Order: sequence, then structure tokens, then C-alpha cells
Amino acid sequence: MAERLGPIGRGRSGRRFEEVLLEVRGITLRFGGVSALSDVSFDVRKGEIRSIIGPNGAGKSSMLNVINGFYRAQQGTIVHRGRTFRHMRPYQAAVAGIGRTFQNIALFRGMTTLDNLMTGRILKMHATFLEQAIWFGRARREELAHRERVERVIDFLEIQEIRNTPVGRLPYGLQKRVELGRALATEPELLLLDEPMAGMNLEEKEDMCRFVLDVNEEFGTTIALIEHDMSVVMDISDRVVVLDYGRKLADGTPDEVRNDPAVIDAYLGVRHD
Amino acid sequence: MEIIETYLIGPFAEMAEYPAGVLETVIAGLGNGFLYALVAIGFVIIFKSSGVFNYAQGAIVFFAALNFAGLLQAGLPWYLAGLITLLLLVVVAIVVERAVLRSLVGQSPLTLFMATIGISFFIEGLVEAVWGGNPHMLKIGLPESSLFTIDYAWGATIGLDLIVQESDLLAIGVGLVLVLGLFVFFHYSRIGQALRAVADDHTASMSVGIPLNRMWVIVWSLSGLTAFVAATVWGTKIQIEPTMIGLALKALPVLILGGLTSIPGALVGGCIIGVSELLFETYWGQPLFGGATTEWFAFVLALVFLLFRPQGLFGEPIIERV
Repeated sequence: MAERLGPIGRGRSGRRFEEVLLEVRGITLRFGGVSALSDVSFDVRKGEIRSIIGPNGAGKSSMLNVINGFYRAQQGTIVHRGRTFRHMRPYQAAVAGIGRTFQNIALFRGMTTLDNLMTGRILKMHATFLEQAIWFGRARREELAHRERVERVIDFLEIQEIRNTPVGRLPYGLQKRVELGRALATEPELLLLDEPMAGMNLEEKEDMCRFVLDVNEEFGTTIALIEHDMSVVMDISDRVVVLDYGRKLADGTPDEVRNDPAVIDAYLGVRHD
Repeated sequence: MEIIETYLIGPFAEMAEYPAGVLETVIAGLGNGFLYALVAIGFVIIFKSSGVFNYAQGAIVFFAALNFAGLLQAGLPWYLAGLITLLLLVVVAIVVERAVLRSLVGQSPLTLFMATIGISFFIEGLVEAVWGGNPHMLKIGLPESSLFTIDYAWGATIGLDLIVQESDLLAIGVGLVLVLGLFVFFHYSRIGQALRAVADDHTASMSVGIPLNRMWVIVWSLSGLTAFVAATVWGTKIQIEPTMIGLALKALPVLILGGLTSIPGALVGGCIIGVSELLFETYWGQPLFGGATTEWFAFVLALVFLLFRPQGLFGEPIIERV
């Protein structure tokens, strides 16, 4: 698989990241008697592509949901840019520049691609209702600035042709791309991607990989992503954290993780030698 | 043969004989219909964005009307009384969100519906405890007249020999302005955009940083505003007493026709119900069934409608039946 992905398989080694952007410490999350996460700690550094991998039910999505406040962990803290949170609310996370996509696409299905992306700008609008209603002064300037950002994202993701199509009618791969676009429209500093390539064919996967890498490079966005496809993860990640049954199994560069016996046992299922 | 003559030909013959009468009935029907629509829009605003079917909307109309009337009787000028009433409605919105909705997040729609029934009784009891159970009238200088007496020959001045109630025209005018205002708000304001996003998908809205709790307060306040407008117009037509709450349930057939999720739908549904029930009352009900058919006609119409188009005229195909 890694070979076939070809052009996107550029080496990620050699990149160094020092500044910690986000850190989760001792996160424990339970649903009733079921432990989804037990005492998980890791950090995400500014500028890197960080992957969270693990088998089904390992707690990967739960981890993202804790980070942007959809779930409230029973124990542990989240440190974001030096500020410590017991629990981050989704609103706080968004204001703090944490963007998000979902495994089961969460788009505004009744709206067009353009309108979906514009919702990503809502937090950044400041004109009052009255100014907006009469389309005057600040409202006008703001709207134009927002449009510009959104247009840039549309160009970047190559979705000009579907800008006025209601997203409910788009094929799955494009919906995923629009969702990424909406997250980008919020100008996130940290982007959480929940299985951005799940359910895609090879071509769509290659496109998505390219976008993820380009977002990281062009916009300088830090990315934390969950992915099933090991070859993809190993190709594009700077560092990988492995979860299994809600516990952290390993943490390190793709090479370190690949050669970690515990990971091989639990996840890759490859014979030791 | 005689039955067909009486029930099918007779009424139409009467309409043809005096067409101005039909027009008068239609206008009066529109007046009622817009009032139903005003209440229905309050339901739609909340249901569309939160999926809560707010049974308490009628009680909130009553709350608004009684507070407004009570404050006026206490000697406050109308603008102050109106402002205080509006503020009280915002307080209701905040309290409902904090005390009820927040603790019921993720519960089934039926649970939330039951909760709003509780809210309805609570509000009814509260306002009566404060203002007493006596009927009030709203007197703020708006054109008034009681529901079925025709007292003003407005139409004569434009050459048409029509008798139209001013209060009906008022209801139509106010209704149009409100719908237009809501349209502009929902489509051109930041909060309106956010509300449309919330109506579409809760998870997605949260991910772009739309604070849902604050949105609930806003939608309940907005529906409070429509309740206030409905109460003000209605209060000039009828006495303000608890039966108003039951009358507000006329919004239900309106919603079945217009769909639970469409504001224009509520307006069209209101007009259809208002006009058809009054036409039926005038030409069939009073001469043939001894009158008072407006009590049930709307519900029967809604029932028939449910058989053929359960999502309403404008509603989304998949709806929650309440």
C-alpha cells in the first residue's frame, strides 16, 4: 500500500518539534462501568502531524471528543498553550483554535458547500445585527474578508465546481473534503481529524493525504488525526501514539512505533523475529 | 337529491349571489389565520432548532398577554409595559434552558415534550397567582373589536362595499412584518446563520464553535417575542383568560398543514385554516349544522391532511410525529 501511494509517501523523518501546543494528562473516561480511556497522556507539538492509532474500540474517537469538549473526562486535565482545563467546552475549544472533522461526517446537509464553509466564520464575525441587516460599513468589510478566506479554502481543496451544490447530494469523498474545508475556514491552529480517509477509495485517499500534508505545510496547521490505514499513518505522521483498550501502548516516531513489540502484538499482529 | 341541493349547491349559490360576502369572510379568516400562524411560528422556531415540541407556547402567549395587560392596568405606559414583558419572556427563556433543557440533554423527544407540558402548567399557575384569574383586556390604542361583531365599514371608503374589521387587517399586517423580520434575521445575521446551522446539525455546529446553550436561550426568546406579538394582537380581539391557552392549540392543525419546520409554512397553514374554517362556518356551519364549527373544523382538516401528506406542505419529509 505504501508503495502504491507513491507521491504522497514523502519522508517525515528529520522534522523536529519542540513547542508543546496541547497536552493531555492522565485522561480517564468512563461510560457507566465501561472504561473508554484509562490514564492516557500524550502531547501534540506545534507544527507536527500527530496520529492516534489503535484497533476498533481502542478509544481513539473518545480521545478527540475529550480534547474538543464533546465528552467530559472523569479524571485528568488538558493543557492547551499553557492553560490547564479540567474540561474544555466545545465553544472554548473552537475559540481556542481547535478545529474538528468527524468519522461519520457532520455537515449542514441542507446548505451548499459555500454556506457550510461560511458557518466556519461565524465565530469570527463581529458586526451587529443592525449593521448586517442594512449591509453597511463593518458588516460589508467583514463579509468580504470572510469570503476571501473561504474562497482560498475552496481553491485549496479544489472544490470550486461544487460550491453551490447542497452537500447532502455530494458523494462521500467530496463530503469529507467539504468537512475538512469547513474546519479550515475556522482558521484552526490545531486540526483534529477523525478518520479522514475512512471509507474512501484509493484515489480519494491519495487526495486526502495530499490535502492533509498541504494543510500542514501551507497553513502551518498542527494536525492530530485518527486513522486505520497503517501505511497512510506511517507515511504522513511525524509522531504516532498507539491506544489499545483505552490505554496508551506506545508513543514515538513511526519507526519506533512500528518496531515496538507491544504494538506488534496488540495491533499489527505480525510475527516477532 | 335534496341532500346534494342543500349541502353542495346551496352554499355555493349563496356565495355567487353575494360575492362581497365571500371576500369579507376570507379577510376575516385571514385575520384569524395570521393569529394562529403567529402562535405556530413560535412552535416552529423552537422545534426547528432544538427538536423540542414546545407545548408551553400557548401558555407563554397567555403569560405575555396577562403580564402586558396587568402592567398596563398598574398604570405603566404601553412602551414600558411592553419592554418589561419582553424582558420577562427572555427571563423565561433563560430559566427554561437552565432549569429544564440543560438537565434533559440527550433525552428522547417525548421526554422533552412532557417537560414542556410541565412548563405550561407552571407558567399558567404562576401568572394567575400573580395577576389573578379575572379576564383582562389589552387597551393600548390598537384597533379593537370583539371576534364576531362587525363594527367598522372600512371597505366603503375604497369603493368596495365591504365590511372589514380593523383588527383583522392589523393581524395580517403585523404577521407579515414579523415573518419578514424573522426572514431577514435568519438569513442575514450572524446569529440567524448560527441558528440555521444548529437546526441542520448539532454536532457540526458545536465543532465550529456555536454554543448550543446560548442558542437555546435565543430561540426561546425569539419564540417569546412571537408570543408577545401574538398576545398583543390577540388581546385586542378577545379577553385574556386561561382559555387562550386552549385557543392557542389551534396552532397544532396549522403546524400539521404547514410542517413543523417551516416558518412560511406556518403562515400558509394559518391562512388555509383561518380562511377555510370561517368559510365553512359561514356557509355550512351556521345555516346547516347550528354553528360553532370553528371549534373542530381545523382539527378535522388536519386529520384529513395527515392521511395524504403527513410531513405538511413545506415540512421536511422525515418528521417527528408528536
